[in-house]
Amino acid sequence: MRKEDTVKLISAEGFEFVVDKKAAMVSQTIRNMLTSPGSFAETEHGEVTFPEITTTILEKICQYFYWSLQYASILYDSGKESEFHIEPELTLELMMAANYLHT
Amino acid sequence: MSAPKKRNFQIEAFKHRVVVDPKYAEKTWKILEHAIHEIYNHNASGLSFEELYRNAYNMVLHKYGEKLYAGLVMTMTSHLKEIAKSIEAAQGALFLEELNRKWTEHNKALQMIRDILMYMDRTFIPSTHKTPVHELGLNLWRDNIIHYSKIQTRLQDTLLELVQQERTGEVINRGLMRNIIKMLMDLCGSVYQENFEKPFLEVSADFYRGESQQFIECCDCGDYLKKAEKRLNEEIERVSQYMDIKSEGKITNVVEKELIESHMHRLVHMDNSGLVNMLVDDKYDDLGRMYSLFRRVPDGLSLIRDVMTSHIREIGKQLVTDPEKLKDPVDFVQRLLDEKDKHDKIISLAFNNDKTFQNALNSSFEYFINLNPRSPEFISLFVDDKLRKGLKGVSEEDVELVLDKVMMLFRYLQEKDVFEKYYKQHLAKRLLSGKTVSDDAERSLIVKLKTECGYQFTSKLEGMFTDMKTSQDTMQGFYAAMGADVADGPTLTVQVLTTGSWPTQSSSTCNLPPEILGVCEKFRTYYLGTHTGRRLSWQTNMGTADLKAMFGKGQKHELNVSTYQMCILMLFNNADGLSYREIEQATEIPAADLKRCLQSLACVRGKNVLRKEPMSKEIAEDDAFFFNDNFQSKFYKVKIGTVVAQKESEPEKQETRQRVEEDRKPQIEAAIVRIMKARRVLDHNNIVAEVTKQLQSRFLPNPVVIKKRIESLIEREFLERDKVDRKLYRYLA
Repeated sequence: MRKEDTVKLISAEGFEFVVDKKAAMVSQTIRNMLTSPGSFAETEHGEVTFPEITTTILEKICQYFYWSLQYASILYDSGKESEFHIEPELTLELMMAANYLHT
Repeated sequence: MSAPKKRNFQIEAFKHRVVVDPKYAEKTWKILEHAIHEIYNHNASGLSFEELYRNAYNMVLHKYGEKLYAGLVMTMTSHLKEIAKSIEAAQGALFLEELNRKWTEHNKALQMIRDILMYMDRTFIPSTHKTPVHELGLNLWRDNIIHYSKIQTRLQDTLLELVQQERTGEVINRGLMRNIIKMLMDLCGSVYQENFEKPFLEVSADFYRGESQQFIECCDCGDYLKKAEKRLNEEIERVSQYMDIKSEGKITNVVEKELIESHMHRLVHMDNSGLVNMLVDDKYDDLGRMYSLFRRVPDGLSLIRDVMTSHIREIGKQLVTDPEKLKDPVDFVQRLLDEKDKHDKIISLAFNNDKTFQNALNSSFEYFINLNPRSPEFISLFVDDKLRKGLKGVSEEDVELVLDKVMMLFRYLQEKDVFEKYYKQHLAKRLLSGKTVSDDAERSLIVKLKTECGYQFTSKLEGMFTDMKTSQDTMQGFYAAMGADVADGPTLTVQVLTTGSWPTQSSSTCNLPPEILGVCEKFRTYYLGTHTGRRLSWQTNMGTADLKAMFGKGQKHELNVSTYQMCILMLFNNADGLSYREIEQATEIPAADLKRCLQSLACVRGKNVLRKEPMSKEIAEDDAFFFNDNFQSKFYKVKIGTVVAQKESEPEKQETRQRVEEDRKPQIEAAIVRIMKARRVLDHNNIVAEVTKQLQSRFLPNPVVIKKRIESLIEREFLERDKVDRKLYRYLA
């Protein structure tokens, strides 16, 4: 995996997740961040820090990115639903993060 | 997560996270404001997108959206004011470049600002019905830059001036133009229309009005059209290069109006170079240009068409009424054909084969061909000439071509029955004298006539061909049956013609020489023996004969003469000299024909086998004729006074005319009866109309004649007048 194809997502606790750009761009916010014409710090370093998202949540988010990449289009075509499991205790925080990331 | 089903829901912020710091909003905004400044100053690389986004996110989340939005408008406006100043300060040609550069920068900055304020764009703006960030940026640009008093007019003038420079042949920076105009198009509202297109069209109209005046004063029509076409193409190209594609129609409209429409009458009627001159000189390029330009404006084509029609009618009229040109019928028809070819070519090369133009051409020809009552005769004579000699050694396709052209002229004729009459006469002469060049060509023309006018029209013509064929068979049979009986006498060839199929001839018989009479009698017995119930009569005025003669110095010649001439010459076997009266008595040839025969025998140099006393050009009733012993000729075969189809003389013409009128009567009557049989009751005007319609394919019946025919039919009790309404006729079964 080449470095320019990946992006490093850093949680509030400093935990780093290296994911495909393609997967990260499931989030509209991250997409804008990485494609905005001006070169923001994030674009230059290839890493994004989320001081308000905890490691647990960010991990779940990354899982969702890949799940979405794999199934979203298929689901849409076939109409079949494939469950993305969410632990009830994470729900609230996850939803806030989703709103923030526009996912 | 919102997938797979997206729903818009707003998430309430945590209660405990409500920021108590009253300066929070102020602080956050300062960060964002600073970022916007940095972005405009090309310093964005140090900024963290995430941080800015989070700040904006939090501001909106904490109900400071209003503040954020207002702050954005204010900051951006102040930046744009700065930009306006710097653009304004740019001098001369740099003005547009500066504007373009700033525009590109603004666009980029706007994109970035929109990205970091995306959360506001997504949630706050739709719920408060405010303008989205991107559009807001464009609107602010429009209001602060484009509509800035010191820029607006300057921009407009600069653009128009550049276009003007390009029109006068200078090279301008088209890329820059394209960008600036693209900017105007991108701005919402009617910025492009108001600030560029409208003044552009006005200025163009003025420019072309002036230019067209100048052109028309100093150019001839062809040059003017070339210039107009060039201008038009330039404008179209200009639009495609750097303007909104929708402007093309508008600017071409202006050019068309100013360059073409307002001058089109003057152009068409221009002395020495107008439409008529172009037609005369076959200027296909100029005509094509005129066609393609004029078709763009209303009434343009109909103007060309009208002028062309009246021009063709005019020359056509001259052609058919000029007595000089009527002298030679073949030449006359050839001229018509040439004229038609010429204009056909113009229409196909220059006028895009326009159907309406073809129709105009056809109607013009129809108009003037029928101006001359002798056209049918001449056309038939033309065919006669072609089929006699004109088509010798010509390929089959070319023959077809000529015949097709003749058919085309034929189609224009209103009096087709007159043509038929003449054609029959000429065909008869051709067939009997064996002068037809090609049987195929003859038949092909008859097939064409048949497809054009129906079976009725050609049945008699076809009958003539059948007669020729059966005659050949009969003669073979005759000689086979007679054998040695007729072997040493003169060779006789008889063509048995069916009465009715052939043009009626006044049967003026003459006394045949006894040698011939004997063979004739034998043939008569033979023929009547094989066919019962027939009657034969000799048409001596139509035959030909080949005579072998020996002259004074022992030279032999074969003389090809008509039957009449043969009868006269045979008399000189028994006598050296005869007076006119003696000849007349012996042969009983009608006086007019006799005079003509004697003239061709005695008065034509090189063919004078008879000697006349006294020597003069005319034949008088007391002249005497002698066998010319001193006759000399380079040729062994001498052809004397053959029967050539000539243009009819005045009395003959009258006679033919009368016969035609006579023949029309039964046709009109038949048409009336046909119509009345179907309708039972009809008023006068309708009968006339219907009869005219029915007979149109053959001739144009005269209403007066129709009326006479109706009266005649009433007399003969085919019809009766209605007792109450005298205008109504009833059919009596």
